[in-house]
Amino acid sequence: MTKHSRLATALVASTAFLALASAASAADLRMSWWGGDSRHVATQEALKVCGAKYGHTVAAEFTGFQGHLEKLTAQIAGGTEADIVQVNWPWLPLFSKKGDGFADISQLKGFDLSQFDPAQLQSATIDGKLNGVPVSTTGRVFLFNKDVFDKAGLPLPKTWDELIADAKVFKEKLGPDYYPFEAIILNALLIVQLVTEQATGKSMVDPEKMVINWTPEELRKGIEFYQNLVATGAIRPWKVAAGEGKVELFEMKAWADGKIAGSYEWDSTYSKYADPLKGQKLVPAEPLVIADAKTPGLYRKPSMVFSISKHSKNPEAAAQILNCLLNEPEGVSILKLSRGIPTSKAAYEALKASGDIKGPVAEANAIVMATDGPAVTPFDEDPRVRDVFQSTLESVAYEQISAADAAVEMIDQWNDILSRL
Amino acid sequence: MGHSRYLGLLYLAPYIIGLLVFTALPFLASLYLSFTDYGLMNAPAWVGADNYLHLFTRDRTFMRSLSVTLIYVATTVPLKLAFALFIAAILNYKLSFINFFRTAYYVPSILGGSVAIAVLWRYIFAEAGLVNMALFAVGLDPVNWLGDPDLALFTITLLRVWQFGSAMVIFLAALQSIDKSLYEAAAIDGAGKATTFIFVTLPLITPVIFFNLVMQMVQAFQEFNGPYIIFNNGGPLKAAYLLPLYIYEEAFKKFEMGYASAIAWVLFVIIMVLTVVAFVTSRKWVYYAGDKRS
Repeated sequence: MTKHSRLATALVASTAFLALASAASAADLRMSWWGGDSRHVATQEALKVCGAKYGHTVAAEFTGFQGHLEKLTAQIAGGTEADIVQVNWPWLPLFSKKGDGFADISQLKGFDLSQFDPAQLQSATIDGKLNGVPVSTTGRVFLFNKDVFDKAGLPLPKTWDELIADAKVFKEKLGPDYYPFEAIILNALLIVQLVTEQATGKSMVDPEKMVINWTPEELRKGIEFYQNLVATGAIRPWKVAAGEGKVELFEMKAWADGKIAGSYEWDSTYSKYADPLKGQKLVPAEPLVIADAKTPGLYRKPSMVFSISKHSKNPEAAAQILNCLLNEPEGVSILKLSRGIPTSKAAYEALKASGDIKGPVAEANAIVMATDGPAVTPFDEDPRVRDVFQSTLESVAYEQISAADAAVEMIDQWNDILSRL
Repeated sequence: MGHSRYLGLLYLAPYIIGLLVFTALPFLASLYLSFTDYGLMNAPAWVGADNYLHLFTRDRTFMRSLSVTLIYVATTVPLKLAFALFIAAILNYKLSFINFFRTAYYVPSILGGSVAIAVLWRYIFAEAGLVNMALFAVGLDPVNWLGDPDLALFTITLLRVWQFGSAMVIFLAALQSIDKSLYEAAAIDGAGKATTFIFVTLPLITPVIFFNLVMQMVQAFQEFNGPYIIFNNGGPLKAAYLLPLYIYEEAFKKFEMGYASAIAWVLFVIIMVLTVVAFVTSRKWVYYAGDKRS
């Protein structure tokens, strides 16, 4: 090789390296998410820091939760979604039926997957492609107003039988309009799901065969359990609770006054339910179980995932930013708990060391992480599946149909929906 | 001449383009989509009349929603028109502070379509709300307005009737335009107030009644805010599940855009047919100034 040709080769090589380096270090990216003000402020700040670290610029696109699904859907349908998108976990099958709706993050170099539990990654994997990284894990926990139970001279219940027995004491000692628990609409169906899973040890949906795992007989017992909670005064009848209109439990006077002393909520929403209880203590508790329960039946799932757009021109750069936000101290120290207790081991350890993970929210999350239950699938939360569950259960609550008929009807309709999904 | 014609078209162009792009195109697109299986994430797949067949043969929710919507329109529109006319007739008298009262009665219509008023309505009719407090004060038992399937639709009907202001203002203008000499003639003939109202006032304001009837009917078919904000999932046993709510949930919660388009077109056809019926029958009961029949 001549001197000139060696020089030419070196120049070409260095030019190529510079081109590659600049492509990796000067990408213009976009990131979209939903959330409240504190999340917006923290994420924008973290994007500035992480962008500066890797030499990228990241434009922020954020909204509230209301309407976000519609906006994201329109963007994805048009191929104009941001490079990094925050996706609600149950939405994944809507956007990526065969796993090709988002980039496969396991194939990108810039992201450290070793910080995540394989089972957690599996929950966001479709057809072998990692469609998103779980940001945090959430689950339903029982929340009890300890002051009200103290007032009734009762310890917090650990089983459903104890809760049902407590209902009688509540009426006798506190008054006829006092209830130890509340379950209508979403909570009603989640309680039916919980006790049916406890009784059978089986998850609701078999995602491999795309069928319902329960028999009509098993589901009938779950529905009858709900009816028994109403009959024994453990929860308010659906019709009475519906008389409040479209109001969240934590907005209700009966909740603030302690007349309803328990509920089954997402661990991350603890503060929403605790705040109205001025001077009263709200305690997260482990799942109540039925006699001979085969599993505690805890409802645990990724609260949301970060995905990378399959249309992104710079997926590697997006992966670097994602890694910074979820695994690296620069991003983690700014985002803190703005999206719940982090799933990333590195982030969890860092926030624990800095004293950011503490208090009842952390206790509630510890219960979620320590308790078992059949795997929840995104199909459990498919809007069509939920609609059938809710409307049929409501018909039972209003005594329009029997529990046995409802169970048969639900399973027929669910299987029909699942076969089309 | 030719130059000015093009100049006129140029001035009209923003409106025409807007009409074509944002109204005509989506309108026609929704007609096409109503014959497809379209979930936003997949390309529309032609399914012929399947969506419509499913709607009318297998979809119990649609039939429920349709009947609820028809009952809602059939009760809301006459009640609202009657109430608006009644108030307009009162406000037509020369009373003290009449301008204040006219403004005060119009205010609910300015606020009526807002989310805030629907939220207020929810609290008024809640179990421990203002209405039940009033009932309790006079010794009556509280009523489960929002949780009872037999009453849920009634509460949103009241919300709509309460927003009578715009119809009232139009009625008031019509009442004020009636020639006073006709009343004097009726009085000389010995007609009482009720007779005068039925045989003089009502026939003379039939064009305005007709206008209000059509407008209120179309608006009632499109009601969304009230049931969406006041109730969970269309009320107890979907007792207040109006068609616009069903369209919204199919389109934006379940991503069944093709199916939602089919429902929207059924709603459109119903509104159009009823409007045509109103126009056709109007020849028999609406009297215009200069009409040979009058």
